[in-house]
Amino acid sequence: MSTTEILLQIKGLNKNFGGLQAISDVTLDLPAGVITTLVGPNGAGKTTLFNLITGHLVPTTGSVHWLGAQINGIEPWKIARMGIARTFQDLRLFNQMTVEENIMTVMERGSWIWQSGQEKNTARIDQILTETGLIDKRKERAVDLAYAERKFLSLARIMASQAKLWLLDEPASGLDPRSFEKFVALLRQYAAKGITICIIEHNLDIVIQLSDRVAFLDQGKLLAQGSSQDILKDPHLAAIYFGDHA
Amino acid sequence: MLIVQLIFNGLQTGALYALIAAGFSLIFGMTRIFHAAHGATFTIAGYAFFEMYSVAHLGWPIAALTAIAAAAIFGMMLDRWVYAIIQRHEGSFFTVFAASFGVAIVVQNLIAMAFGRGLVTISTPLSKSIELAPGLFVAPMLAIVLVCAVICFALLQYLLTRTNLGIALRALGENPTLIEVYGLTPRKISQFAFLIGSILVVPAAILTATTSGLNPSMSHHVMLISLAATIVGGVGSLRGAALAGMLLGMAENLCLAVIDPQWSEAVTFVILFLFILFRPGGVYGRAIAT
Amino acid sequence: MIAYLQNIAVLFCVNGILALTLNFIMGYAGIYSLAHTIFFGIGAYTAAYLALNVTDSLPISMLAAFSLSAVVSMALALPALRVRGEYFVAASLGLQVIGVTIFAEWKSVTGGLGGMIGIPRPKLFGYVFNDDTAFLILSVVVLLAVLGILSLLVRGSFGRSLMAIRDSESAAQAYGKHVNAVKTLSVAISSGLAAIAGVLYTFYMSFINVEGFTLETSILLMAMVIIGGTGTLLGPVAGAALLMTLPAALTYLPFLPPGELGAIQQIVYGAAMVLLMIFRPGGLVGGRSKEKSA
Repeated sequence: MSTTEILLQIKGLNKNFGGLQAISDVTLDLPAGVITTLVGPNGAGKTTLFNLITGHLVPTTGSVHWLGAQINGIEPWKIARMGIARTFQDLRLFNQMTVEENIMTVMERGSWIWQSGQEKNTARIDQILTETGLIDKRKERAVDLAYAERKFLSLARIMASQAKLWLLDEPASGLDPRSFEKFVALLRQYAAKGITICIIEHNLDIVIQLSDRVAFLDQGKLLAQGSSQDILKDPHLAAIYFGDHA
Repeated sequence: MLIVQLIFNGLQTGALYALIAAGFSLIFGMTRIFHAAHGATFTIAGYAFFEMYSVAHLGWPIAALTAIAAAAIFGMMLDRWVYAIIQRHEGSFFTVFAASFGVAIVVQNLIAMAFGRGLVTISTPLSKSIELAPGLFVAPMLAIVLVCAVICFALLQYLLTRTNLGIALRALGENPTLIEVYGLTPRKISQFAFLIGSILVVPAAILTATTSGLNPSMSHHVMLISLAATIVGGVGSLRGAALAGMLLGMAENLCLAVIDPQWSEAVTFVILFLFILFRPGGVYGRAIAT
Repeated sequence: MIAYLQNIAVLFCVNGILALTLNFIMGYAGIYSLAHTIFFGIGAYTAAYLALNVTDSLPISMLAAFSLSAVVSMALALPALRVRGEYFVAASLGLQVIGVTIFAEWKSVTGGLGGMIGIPRPKLFGYVFNDDTAFLILSVVVLLAVLGILSLLVRGSFGRSLMAIRDSESAAQAYGKHVNAVKTLSVAISSGLAAIAGVLYTFYMSFINVEGFTLETSILLMAMVIIGGTGTLLGPVAGAALLMTLPAALTYLPFLPPGELGAIQQIVYGAAMVLLMIFRPGGLVGGRSKEKSA
């Protein structure tokens, strides 16, 4: 797997909400097999950037390219089927459905009643459940799970989606150390298989442990991108991050 | 002349609708509770007035006070004993709506059993129409209706913009936790919203009783108007609901110039339908998240 | 006695189908419609019109009723795609009111306020269902068929897509669900099958008018679904059974004034709705938790 293969390209992206410039001329590349973390102070536009990629928002100007083709302006469900998946900061699990059903429905994208490849699906579901430690909870409703389990279910859904690009919005926040390690291990495992992962994260420890690359966003502008070492050592960025500017 | 007559009728209907809609909009906009029993509040107030005025002959001040008390107690009790409990459990939109609906059905039928299903009217000297011009009949009651509506809205405006309570009420819809800043709790604010929202329908109920009359199933129509006006005017905007109520009242009457009366209710809903399809935010409302 | 029971049984099948189909969009798709009766009516009037003017063939009536109802249901689907919850309830209310007015005023097709009379029994492969018992069997078969179809849909991937959309539309979209198509299809299926109930009703009663398709009826249907329990397949059927036996049960209580039985009946199910929502939101069958998956 070539690690220099660029799967997602964002070019000169701008998003304006009736006067509020949420995203300002952002250009960013996400290569295969690389974990990129998006950091920045609150309100910097990180989630907005995700929404612009997934089609939940349409850019004012600029473009997003996936596997070479332009995707901005395409409906979210179509973009999802092209291989881009995301999690939400507030999880948005299918609460009244069971753990198993949450995963099944993601795998069943296009079909209506009859499923082809049932056995393959069942095996894959079992595998995902085991990897995320949810195998004993498969018949539980999502709303009845514990906090960490819900976080893992959110990850399980994206694992089931067979997406090549994972956009994770604060996926590990609030996890206890043991769960966190398991989480990191899983992400590394999938990145090694060639999945491109982009994470929004506030917790700097997480950023250091997880990221291959870091992109720093502030007030809608991409201020810097590079290796985590470079970015995190920069005093100017630290000042912005911790709010020393007006 | 027909058009002018229809305009006057429309003004009267519109003013009443504006009051009704404002009450519902206040409650819904501020507590987010789909108070499907708002129509029941109206009916209770109307029949309470009727009972005290026409049956017990206690004079209109006592009758009015009774109506106000009945409406207020009904609204607040519903909030405290039904909605609050449901919201503590899991309070999904549907559960609250279904419970509200159930209450409305019970009230409608209890009133039907107590007062009969027919139309019940109260005639007062002010209800008799005067021929202002050839073919133009207006009752002095119209003036009372309009004055009443204006006073109510002025008071409401004052309450909402000049008092702590009012500001807190407006904050409740946006962010319930802000309320604690004012030393109030969301529960107490909710009670106030229901108190004021329920009282707002009382003038409309009394005036309807003295003009077109009451019957138990009018709660349906009241609900429909409240809902339609709140949506067309924009959720969260009292001004919008009031204006929309006026608009719907006028439309309901003016359309009689061109179509049969059986279709006038449908006109209200065509307007509502079109707004939902093309401008769900209503005239003044905030953007709707789907 | 037998005739009386048969009568109730047929009407139970009709109401059962209506409750099942309403629950399909309410409990599984989260689309709260007060206009369900209109589709019942469309089916009924279509069958009546065909039987009186064209043919008494059962399959043709059912096909025509289903198709017409599914097409008209686009009027309901459109707002369902744009708004949720309270807004949609209002839109469905509007459709209900407009529908009733059309039923009452379009005299040439629906017979206006007087309705349509003298509708013959239907014919299937040459057999005419004149016998009441035969008709009962037909009704039960249709009820079971509808139950089967909905069960298949709900337990399969379509049902999961519906519930995913109900639980979080934005997440469903993010995972590739074509929300608009799924919602529209579910509304079409629900309305089409409700029309089938209308076909049965028309042929059984041999007389229909607008009184059977009013807002009151829509409310009663909603009560059946709510009381029986949304989100379970059998809940609405239980609700239908309960609310149908209620009037009969009330006549056995001697202390109730006979003239007021209708009102008392409504008070009972109104109160039931309130109490259930407070103590048991899942309905009688559903239990404490709301909207359990099938």
